[in-house]
Amino acid sequence: MSNPLGAARPKPQRKRKRPPRKHRGRTRPKKRPKKRRHKSKIKPKPKPKPRPPKAPKPPTSYAPGRYAATPVLPTAARHLVNRFSYGITPGLTREVTAAGGHLAWFDQQLERRPRTDPYDAWWPDLTLDAKTMYQRQVDKVRGTWEVAHDIGRRSMMRRITSPDQVLEVMTEFWENHLHVPTNADNIAVYRAAYGEVIRAGALGRFADLLSAAVLHPAMLWYLGNTSSTKRHPNENLGRELLELHTVGLGNHTEEDVKNSARILTGWRARTYGTWEPYYSASDHWTGEVRVKEFSDPNTAADGRDLTTRYLTYLARHPDTARRIATKLVRQFVSDVAPAALVDRLAAVYLDHDTAIKPVLRALVRAPEFAAAVDGRLRDADEDVAATYRVLGAVPSRPASGSSAANQVNWQVSALGLAPYNWPRPDGQPVANAAWSSPTRALASLSLHWNMAGGYWPKAELTRKLPPSYLPARSLPFRDLVDHLSRLFLQRPSTEALLRACCAATECTPTKVVTATSDLFTWRWVRLCAVFLDSPDFYYH
Amino acid sequence: MTATTATDLTECACPEGTALAAGRLGATRRGVLGAAALAGMSTMFGSTVVTMTSAPAAAAPATGRPVVVVISLRGAADGLSLVVPHGDPAYYAARPGIAVPRESLLARDGFFGLHPALAPLLPLWSSGRLAAVHATGLPVANRSHFSAMEELEDADPGSAARVGWLNRMVGADTGTGALQAVAVGSSLPTALLGPETVMSFRTLDAAVVAGDDKWDTHGTRLKSLRTLWGAGGRELGGGMRTALGAVVDLDAAKAQADRAASYPSSDLGKGLASVARTLRADLGVTAVTIDTQSWDMHVGMGTATSGWMVRNTTELANAVAAFFADLGPVGDRVTLVTVSEFGRRVQENANQGLDHGWGNVMLVAGAGVKGGRYYGTWPGLQNTLDADLAVTTDYRSVLAEVVAARTSASTAAVFPGFQRERVGVMVGQ
Repeated sequence: MSNPLGAARPKPQRKRKRPPRKHRGRTRPKKRPKKRRHKSKIKPKPKPKPRPPKAPKPPTSYAPGRYAATPVLPTAARHLVNRFSYGITPGLTREVTAAGGHLAWFDQQLERRPRTDPYDAWWPDLTLDAKTMYQRQVDKVRGTWEVAHDIGRRSMMRRITSPDQVLEVMTEFWENHLHVPTNADNIAVYRAAYGEVIRAGALGRFADLLSAAVLHPAMLWYLGNTSSTKRHPNENLGRELLELHTVGLGNHTEEDVKNSARILTGWRARTYGTWEPYYSASDHWTGEVRVKEFSDPNTAADGRDLTTRYLTYLARHPDTARRIATKLVRQFVSDVAPAALVDRLAAVYLDHDTAIKPVLRALVRAPEFAAAVDGRLRDADEDVAATYRVLGAVPSRPASGSSAANQVNWQVSALGLAPYNWPRPDGQPVANAAWSSPTRALASLSLHWNMAGGYWPKAELTRKLPPSYLPARSLPFRDLVDHLSRLFLQRPSTEALLRACCAATECTPTKVVTATSDLFTWRWVRLCAVFLDSPDFYYH
Repeated sequence: MTATTATDLTECACPEGTALAAGRLGATRRGVLGAAALAGMSTMFGSTVVTMTSAPAAAAPATGRPVVVVISLRGAADGLSLVVPHGDPAYYAARPGIAVPRESLLARDGFFGLHPALAPLLPLWSSGRLAAVHATGLPVANRSHFSAMEELEDADPGSAARVGWLNRMVGADTGTGALQAVAVGSSLPTALLGPETVMSFRTLDAAVVAGDDKWDTHGTRLKSLRTLWGAGGRELGGGMRTALGAVVDLDAAKAQADRAASYPSSDLGKGLASVARTLRADLGVTAVTIDTQSWDMHVGMGTATSGWMVRNTTELANAVAAFFADLGPVGDRVTLVTVSEFGRRVQENANQGLDHGWGNVMLVAGAGVKGGRYYGTWPGLQNTLDADLAVTTDYRSVLAEVVAARTSASTAAVFPGFQRERVGVMVGQ
C-alpha cells in the first residue's frame, strides 16, 4: 500500500537558527550531592573547618502567575465546547458567552444549517461526476487518488474554520460509523459525494442516514455489493451492515448475514462503465428471507421496497439503539461507557424515532458527561485541527502542493492516519489507548514544534506573529505564562506548567518580559511548544 | 496427512543453543546500557546523553537475544492461494477463475506448492529456513475481522484483561529493558498490549524528538517535556515516556547502515528495513510486530498471474527475503511468523473474490525452523457454497512451538489454559 505521494512529500524544515553561544545562567540552584545511604562502615573524614555561613540562595518559587484580563470559559463550558469542537478559539469563547452559556450554545449549534464555504472551489474535482472524474484519471489529467486527498483536505478545512463546529464533529462521527475509506481503488469517484450525504444527514434521523449511506454507490462498491449476484450473493455489505452499522456483533447469526446479503442483491453500479448506480431486478435473490425478527416472503423481483423496510427495521431495532448510544458515549464521554447512560440514550433514540438531536441534547446534560472533563485524548486529525485553531493559523486558497491547505492532510497522516484512510470498514479506533503509542507521541511533538515555530507549512498560511502574544508593555514571565495558558489551554496556569515553561526557555518566573525579549524571537518555539505539548492540550 | 515433503532435511544448522545462552548472558549488557540511559535521563538531557549512551552501545558485546517477528496479514489472506493444496481436487473444482495451476507452483511436493509470487522466498525454503503450516487458525470459526483479530492476538480466552500474547511472552522472558518489544506502525496491535513497555515507530528515522537537536545545547526541550510528562498523563503518558527514553537507545540502531533500497518501497518494506537496523544494533529487542493491510479480497482478487493477490504476495515475499538478506548473520537469532485473522472460503464467489472463511496457512521462517517442508493435518476440501478450510491445528500450537524453541518464556504463561499439540515445525519440538 505504498502511497504514491509519499516520495514527493516535502519534509518539514527546521529553522537553522543558532541560539546565542553564551551560556545562560542557571535558573535553579545546583543539585546537592546525593546522600549516602550506608554510612556505618565508612571512616568518618576529618571534619572540615566551619566556613563562614554563605547567604543561601532563596529557592525559586513556581507559584503560578495570574493574568485575569484574558478570559476563560467556566470548566463545564470549556468541557462541552472542547468535546464538541476542534479547539476553543477566542472567537468561540465569545460566541459561547453571547449565546448565554454552553448549553444554549450547543442547542443553537444543533439548529444551524451548514453554510457555504469555498472549499469545493479550492478543490474543484470534488464536485465532478464519477464518469468525468474517472476519465480525467484515464487521460492522466488528475488521478482519483489525488481527489481522495482533496476529500480529507476539505473536511480538515471545515474542522479548522467552520463556525458550525458541532455539525463538523458529528459529521466525523458518522463518517467513522459508516466508514468508506477514500483511498480504496478509485472509490473517490463516488466518495466525495458520499461525504456530503453524511454531512447532510449528520443531525437528522439515523434511519434516513443509514439508508442514504448504505445504498450509496460508494458503500455499495466498497463492500462488494455492486457486483453481488442472485446466484452467489456477496456477503461483505450484508455482514458489515449488521455487525458494524446497526445491531452489532453478537446480535446476529451467520444465517442472518446470508439473508442480509440476499436482501441487498440488486443494488448495483456500472463501475468502469457509465458509473451510474442502478437497480437490477434480475440480480435480486428471491425467496423467503429472515434476519432476526424481520421476515419477508420476498417474492417480487424488485427488492427495493423490501430493502427500505429492512433498513428501517434495523435502524429502529433496540440493539441498534444501544450500539449507536454506546458509540456516542465512547466518543463524547469516556472509553468505558457507563451502562446507565447508554440505556437512557438508547431510550431517547427509540422514543424519537432515531432522531439524533434529542440524543445529543440528553447526552450533554447527563451527569456522566459532566463528570468526564478532559478525559478524551485528541486523535490525529483532532490534534492537527486544534493546533491550527488555538494558534490562530488559517490556511488560504492553496496555490501548490506545499500550501498549508494541501499539507494539512500530510500533517494528519504523520500522526498515524490521514483523514478517512483507515483501511477497514470498522472505522478508525476511538479509544484513548489507540492514540497513545510512542509513534504518535513523537509525531505530535514534531507537529507542534513545526507549527509553533512556523517552520512548516508556511505557504498560504496566515499565522499570528510571536510579539502579538505579549498582552502588556511588560509583565513578569509567570504572568505571560498564565496569559498563554488561558489563550491556548482555556484555563489558568499551574505550577507544573510554569516549571516546564521555565525549563524550556531558561527564564525565571519573575523575569520581566517586554517586546524585545528573545522569547518572541528564537525562544518562541520553545515556549509555545510547551503549551501544545502539555497533557491539557492532548486531552479534551 | 502430515509433513508431505519428499525432502527430508537434516536439523537446521542455526546455532540457537548458543544464541539462547548468549541471550541470558547478554542481558547484563542491556542492563548496563539501560542504566546509562536512565542515569542520563534523570540528571541531564539532550546531546550529552546521546553521546554517552551510543558510544558504549557501539562497543558493547552482542546480547544475542532471540527475536520473534510477527507479520500480520490483515483482512484475512487467502491461505489456499499462498500455499496451494494442488493434490485436493476440490480446490480446482471450487475455483475455476482464480485457482493457481499445479504446474506453476513452486517447491511442489505431492500435495502442496507455493504460489509462484513467493519466488523470492525460494532460497529460504530450499536452505531449510522457511516452512508452512496449513489448516491453522482459531479453534472455532470467527468471521468478524475485528473480533477475530482481537481473539487471535489476545490468545487468552479465559481472561477479560486486554493483554496480548507477545506482551506476555516479553514479560515471561528473562530479559529486561525498555526496548524489548517494538511495534512497527502507528498504534500498538492487541498482541503487544499489556503491562510490558512497548516502543513503536513507523520508521526508525521518524523516532526523534523534534526540537531536541544540536542547537538545543542545554537540553531545554527534553527538560521541559520531562516536567510535563515525567509522571501521569494517563494513556498517553506511557507512550510519551517510552518514546522519550527509547529514542536515546535507538541512536545505536540509527547508526546502522540503512538498506531500505533493497526492500519494496511499501510500508512493510520500509518498516522491515527499520526493524533490521534495530536488530543489527542488538539492543535487546525480543518481539517485533509489523502489519500488512489489504488482504480482504471479496471482489477482484485477480488471477494466478496478475492482480491484487499477486501484488500483495509479491510484496510480502520480496520484503521478507530482503529482511533476511539484510539481517545477515543476525538472522540466525530471528524467527519470523505470519498470522492472519482467518482464511477464506474454498469456493470463489461471483466476483472473482472469496468471502470470509476459517482455516489459513502460517509461514514460519528463520532461526530454529525445520524448513523446506509443509506441516499440518489436511482436513480435505468440499466444493460447496459455505465450505471452509477446516482448522486442524490451533494457531497457538504453532506460536507456542516458536516460543518454546526460541525463548525462555513458559508457553503456559504465554497461552494460558491452552494445551498445545505437537506441530514439529521448530527444532527440538
